[in-house]
Amino acid sequence: MARLLRTATAVAGLALMAYGLYGLLNDRYITDPLDVLVWAVGGLVLHDGLWVPLVCLAGARFARGPVLRAWLIIAAALTAVGLPAVLRAGDDHGNPTLLPLPYLRDYLLTLAATAAVALLGAVAVAVRRRRRRRAGPE
Amino acid sequence: MDDEHSAPHRRPYALPLPTPPEVLRRGPLREGAFSSALHEPRTAVVTGRLLGAALLTCFLTGLLSHLLQEPPTWLRDHLPSRPVDGYRVTQGLHVITGIAAVPLLGAKLWTVYPRLFEWPPARSVAHALERLGIAVLVGSTLLELFTGLLNTLQWYPWPFPFRQTHFWLGWLAVGGLLLHIAVKAPLTARHWRRRRPGLAQRRAFLGAVTASVAVVTLTTAGQTVPRLRALTLFAPRRPDIGPQGLPVNRTAAQAGTGTTPAGWRLTVHGPRPYELTMDDLLAMPQYEAELPIACVEGWSASARWGGVRVADLLARAGAPPTARVRVTSLEADGPYRVTEMPAAHARDPLTLLALRVNGETLLPDHGHPARIIAPNRPGVLQTKWVTRLEAL
Repeated sequence: MARLLRTATAVAGLALMAYGLYGLLNDRYITDPLDVLVWAVGGLVLHDGLWVPLVCLAGARFARGPVLRAWLIIAAALTAVGLPAVLRAGDDHGNPTLLPLPYLRDYLLTLAATAAVALLGAVAVAVRRRRRRRAGPE
Repeated sequence: MDDEHSAPHRRPYALPLPTPPEVLRRGPLREGAFSSALHEPRTAVVTGRLLGAALLTCFLTGLLSHLLQEPPTWLRDHLPSRPVDGYRVTQGLHVITGIAAVPLLGAKLWTVYPRLFEWPPARSVAHALERLGIAVLVGSTLLELFTGLLNTLQWYPWPFPFRQTHFWLGWLAVGGLLLHIAVKAPLTARHWRRRRPGLAQRRAFLGAVTASVAVVTLTTAGQTVPRLRALTLFAPRRPDIGPQGLPVNRTAAQAGTGTTPAGWRLTVHGPRPYELTMDDLLAMPQYEAELPIACVEGWSASARWGGVRVADLLARAGAPPTARVRVTSLEADGPYRVTEMPAAHARDPLTLLALRVNGETLLPDHGHPARIIAPNRPGVLQTKWVTRLEAL
């Protein structure tokens, strides 16, 4: 039963991939599917060849301690989601309801607020550790 | 070599491949090149199942949106006009799960990153094909999330059309995901439950990833979830910012419909065609409906719309209740200048040819002189600047 389910999932996956590829190659609006390939491979190369090595390097060399690491993870997520809006703020093609907020300010404030929370967490951890150490030898 | 590959030559895809010479095993390919203890299956399973759930939800809601925007012939007579908030919820979920998938994808790919440098690079033909499948999965998912996020900002720096590419890449990504789930099923099953004692580092990492998902969700979801509106920091829209308190997807200036032509008439085609002036429309029974505009880009905003029921206009033209409606806008061009409305929506008493919003006459940006507003529909099909209705 489990084996059948596994095979069916694999076959369904291959079928969906084939359908997607066929559609990508034959859609009349996608005049040059090679463009899509270039962007997909480009994204893969930038992510695996530049971004993750930087993260690994930062994690191994600089980001000591769980609190700093946690904050860096949150900051990276915020940047990935928020940076496009920061870069694009004001570029609304004459539609003032598009990107109407002060994105750069909000981005910096959110980074600061999450850093403050992380700092409080670090202080709490340090205080608890010191108390435990003081209570320990007795 | 492990058990799975110990029976070579029986099947062509199980054919073993030679291991490259050891001198090539340098840099990240070396044993122990990655120091973190979290590059291990349990962390991959926990982040992976969250990511899988997000991506599958994102795919299904996206597929639904495509079907609603351009219904195939076999479906167009079966699309329901209720629940009123149906599309608002599914498309809101599409963008919310897509955004939540960004930190989840980052965490998952970091966790399994050392696998990119496994040695030998390909043990067998099957293994090489599996790794190619992973490349398709990762490449298409990265591009899918990237194009989706930028589309919500109406930012298109790539040379291909967004909608079609996003659609087909979605199939490719989800197909790759299903294949990946099937291939990894035994490993996933082994690590589905936590073994005690837990890893403190893993708990800290997963806590940080959860916090990241919470932060990006809470600061963007307010574009469609009213209770989170005050926290809307990075969403490209806020539902209360815009003329008459509503955002606009395409302005009258962009559509070239800033001024209504003098002598504007609404033409209604059917067995008994007729024309109406604005005064004629205002003399008909007027109705009000609280309905959302729910945009494909993930924002939605509710408003109180006032105007004439589309069902009344069609009945007056002698159209049967099973008729679909073709709606034509005044705009000179644009992919949604002419739209079609299914019969269920056309005869829904909530579906209006709206002349007012929140008690005021529509501004040009909201479709003056008249616009369509119907329940459970993508925003791009809520045609503005209407000049003609045709019963089909």
